[in-house]
Amino acid sequence: MDIVVQILLNAVIAGAIYSLLALGFNLIYSTARFFDLGYGALTAVGGYSVFFLYKILGLPLIPSIIFGMIMAGILGWGVSELVYRPLRARKASNTVLLVAALGVLTVIQAGIAILFTSQFQTLSRYVAEQQTYTILGGVITQTQVLILAAGLIIMVLLGVVLKYTRVGKAVRAVADDEEVATIVGINAQRIMGGVFFVGSMIGGLAGISVGFDTGIQPTMGLALLLKGVIAAIIGGIGNVWGGVIGAFVLALVENLGAWQFSGEWKDAIAFLVLILFLLFRPKGILGK
Amino acid sequence: MEYLIHIAILVCIYGILGLSLNLVIGEAGLLNVTQAAFYGMGAYGAALLITNYDINFFLALLGGIIISAFGSLLIGLVLSRFRGDFYALGSFGFNVIVWSIMLNWQDVTHGPLGIPGIARPALFGFTFSENLTFLILAAVFLALVYGISTFITKSSFGRVLKALREDEEAISVFGYATSYYKLVTFVISASLAAIAGALFASYITFIDPSSFSLNESIFLLSIVILGGLGSSRGAVMGALFLIVLPEALRFVGFPPDVAAQMRQMVYGLILILLMLYRPQGLMGTFRM
Repeated sequence: MDIVVQILLNAVIAGAIYSLLALGFNLIYSTARFFDLGYGALTAVGGYSVFFLYKILGLPLIPSIIFGMIMAGILGWGVSELVYRPLRARKASNTVLLVAALGVLTVIQAGIAILFTSQFQTLSRYVAEQQTYTILGGVITQTQVLILAAGLIIMVLLGVVLKYTRVGKAVRAVADDEEVATIVGINAQRIMGGVFFVGSMIGGLAGISVGFDTGIQPTMGLALLLKGVIAAIIGGIGNVWGGVIGAFVLALVENLGAWQFSGEWKDAIAFLVLILFLLFRPKGILGK
Repeated sequence: MEYLIHIAILVCIYGILGLSLNLVIGEAGLLNVTQAAFYGMGAYGAALLITNYDINFFLALLGGIIISAFGSLLIGLVLSRFRGDFYALGSFGFNVIVWSIMLNWQDVTHGPLGIPGIARPALFGFTFSENLTFLILAAVFLALVYGISTFITKSSFGRVLKALREDEEAISVFGYATSYYKLVTFVISASLAAIAGALFASYITFIDPSSFSLNESIFLLSIVILGGLGSSRGAVMGALFLIVLPEALRFVGFPPDVAAQMRQMVYGLILILLMLYRPQGLMGTFRM
């Protein structure tokens, strides 16, 4: 019984992190319409910014996290302006954008590794004193509760902003049809920039969460990104709530699989789920 | 001199991989990021046959090709149902799955420990144990694969592929079964990659899963894109350039860890700059 509770808890925590990844990815994908692999590296940018500020410089926790998110956001925005915008302007195909994004991912990863070495690092200062809670025999740490809360807050915020505010409507308009949106007076370039900024910030937060939960590595981005993408596709791509549902489904399947077989198969299981969904339900759970 | 021979052998092996991948991406226009898996299947297939059953290299090579062809047939059947971005994503997934199998099916592959003591090729009592003789063998295989790939591209089959790449709907209207053409190309390409795998295994005399990860597929993709899609000469040039360039960086005098990261950074920058300024690569005939 205890083990089942623990697996469920682990799935909930992993699901919270995947939700963040899926939320940021979904936002960017549904507006820019290509697989932004560079988004993966921004999770590492968030993680390493906090590592530098909080652990090396010794700044307080909350400002470090906020600054880490902003760093990821600025970099995401900068890449979009410098690389993706000129490509979009000359109507490059998705494949070209995908390959360019692959280059972005590689460059950022290598940059981080040069600055901070490629060693595995943890973000918490006092690992031993981590407060833990016991629920029905399963254990959850304070950090994990905070991650879960952050995931839920961002999901609701994003959902509400996209649905009810003027900016949200503009974003959806650009996502539907960039040209028509421009004709009715929406500054599509600015919206696009904003989407990359906010999406990358959320990705940065996901990286920071992973850093506090387990640890960070320069190459962490690709694996995390792919989890976000898989979650978004399972849930129904472009759908805010779908991404979150997909994230929890993916986390549950992964953790059940890891329990039945062994932890090393997690990534393979995740991709198997993806391929099954692409084959039999490419629109995802909540897809239109 | 030994060092130059070593580089030349690597150029031959990666030239074969570049040629094989060019068939799928450059000629048929499918963004395939699974090639390292087939390269690995060839390497593992040959290595296991050589070490377990003491089979001659050339027969083991054939075994590796058969394993890779069979694997690619299964994977290709699934992938042929996807399009565009999802094709790329699905192929990412299969690379991770195959890699996980290499890493976790410990009874057969010895997992992360790898397979040591793979014998060098021997023919009629002559062993290719000297690197110079091995280079000649590798060059012969490169020439062979080059011949096969130019034969395919010049044949009527190759012309159908080019048409398919430019406009799949139009060619299917003319009654060509496009999925059949894609699948056959995919299997041929994987079989050719298996040759490189077997050569690599018996050259290094040791293999482990780390040589066949997703990053390797991305590296192979950069070779083909740099050289130019749809050009056999380009694929070999891409391999030459991307193998030799980082070796040149080695002499600039960075510490080894930084040098490895600098190399990654150069690969990434090459991809970004190519996409921005020359998406058809150095000598490509096809713009994505």
